[in-house]
Amino acid sequence: MKRIMYIARHNPLIFPALFIMAFWLAAAVVGPSLTHFSYTGMDMDHQMTGPGVGGHLVGTDSLGRDIWARIVYGSRSILTIALLTSLFSSLAGVMLGFTAGYFGGRVDALFLRFMDIMMAVPPLVLSMVVLGVLGNSNILTLTLIVSIAYTPATARVARGALLGCKNIEYVDAARLRGESHLYIMFREILPNTIGPIIVEVTARFAYSIMMVASLGFLGVGLQPPTPDWGMMVIENKTIIKAAPWAVLYPSLAIASLVIAISLFSDFLGKVVLRDQ
Amino acid sequence: MAVTLIAMSILIFLLVELMPGDAAQRVLGQSATPQAVSSLRESMGLNDPVWVRYGRWAAGMLRGDLGTSLYMRGVPIASIFWRKVGNSLVLALLALLFYVPLSIVLGVLAGVKAGKWIDSIISFLGLATMALPEFVSGIILMTLFAVRIPLFPITSVIPIGESIWSNLNILVLPALSITFVMFGYVSRMQRSSMISVMNSDYVRSAVLKGLPLRRVIFRHALKNALLPTITIIGMNMGWLFGGLIVVETLFGFPGLGSLTMSAVKTQDTPLIEVCALFITAVFVISTAITDLLYGLLNPRIRYPGGQ
Repeated sequence: MKRIMYIARHNPLIFPALFIMAFWLAAAVVGPSLTHFSYTGMDMDHQMTGPGVGGHLVGTDSLGRDIWARIVYGSRSILTIALLTSLFSSLAGVMLGFTAGYFGGRVDALFLRFMDIMMAVPPLVLSMVVLGVLGNSNILTLTLIVSIAYTPATARVARGALLGCKNIEYVDAARLRGESHLYIMFREILPNTIGPIIVEVTARFAYSIMMVASLGFLGVGLQPPTPDWGMMVIENKTIIKAAPWAVLYPSLAIASLVIAISLFSDFLGKVVLRDQ
Repeated sequence: MAVTLIAMSILIFLLVELMPGDAAQRVLGQSATPQAVSSLRESMGLNDPVWVRYGRWAAGMLRGDLGTSLYMRGVPIASIFWRKVGNSLVLALLALLFYVPLSIVLGVLAGVKAGKWIDSIISFLGLATMALPEFVSGIILMTLFAVRIPLFPITSVIPIGESIWSNLNILVLPALSITFVMFGYVSRMQRSSMISVMNSDYVRSAVLKGLPLRRVIFRHALKNALLPTITIIGMNMGWLFGGLIVVETLFGFPGLGSLTMSAVKTQDTPLIEVCALFITAVFVISTAITDLLYGLLNPRIRYPGGQ
């Protein structure tokens, strides 16, 4: 604990980062009950009005919808999808990467070959094509596809972490005791590689937010009228001259959230690194 | 490399061909008679087994025949595809011209001054820009330099009948948006490799024998510190093309990215396949070239037993 505070003092940016993360978490949980506008309600007297006019905190879009309400509701879906995606892809990555690294030899060679092929398509292109082909994305398909697209990357990290401590005495001891492979992988090795894996989960969380926002921007994310941060940007891009707030605030929401999570992940990395 | 490409082409083909909905139905629309649909299916060869269709498609690709578009009835894909790829290439080159020198210079500076305030600023900038999706940095640039101060156009369309070369100003904001994302990756890589090289024995002895620091950095350290950076730039070529989709959609730039996007939107199967395959090929080939280049620049790994 003392060491964590020491590192925090040398990386003071962690404090605003934690504050921003807490802010968006609170917005997702209790935010909708704090704003009296709904995310579809159209205020016909206030279309494309600026921040503050008519009680609209950060203005309205071309249909007179309250942008703050849409951002707050949108925080729910993006946080849910990104959190599930980072957990699923890390889980799948750990299972695949551990199996390959643990057994080594032909299993490992096959795994590496397969990962090379999977990594030849940028995750964004892969997700976009699959989601576009499937059509009508929802939370389930988005989570599933993005998780699959990210699994090769997480599997590589997990494999690397496992190789780092595969040949240490306690693993040999467990093997001589006659423990099963599963026991050795998850009860002996996993607790000792948990540091880098947690760092990977948080970094993946930031990437997932970036990805979900980009997919929403490209129109293959959640479908309207569900508010989605990325979609709000492209919807309102045509009115950027008349109502810049309609694109700027959703963009700033995305920017603040991903930067805060990245700083947090970077900080965790430093904590874990000093640990070893 | 060839194996990866073949495997990827099979995957892309299956993925797109097995999608729900019938291609013939999509061409003719919902009101078409069943007879018309089935005869078109026959003439498009859709009744053949999947592997026959794959063989025909792959053979066409190898001959340079990209097929015909579904959405733009019967227009040969090759007639639009290469022009759009050319536009994207110009954009990508300009972006490379921006971010490679910038990232290397700032990365070296941060690495040499590691732990100082200038390093903190550069490292934070790298972390922040790397985390931003391309369209967010694009929107911020657009608000600043197209709306507030109207230096550049909001949309990057090329007027009909003009070439990209007479409209270079439309490229600046899209290229800067790509620079934002890439700067983070490359400068962080450059910083950490610079730090490890500066801590190596040969650099320490160069410093201790009294050479000026500037000479040590440029003559001794930089040569080795550039190697991992070259790798990361090469590996990120695929990323760059993925990022083009977002940037080109934001600015309405007529390139490979917006072509891919519109193919997905209109469910134009042959066009989706060509675009996805091309982006994959760019990635695979640039990775292979990077490997070759790395061997060329780093003689240690060319000999078995070295390193």
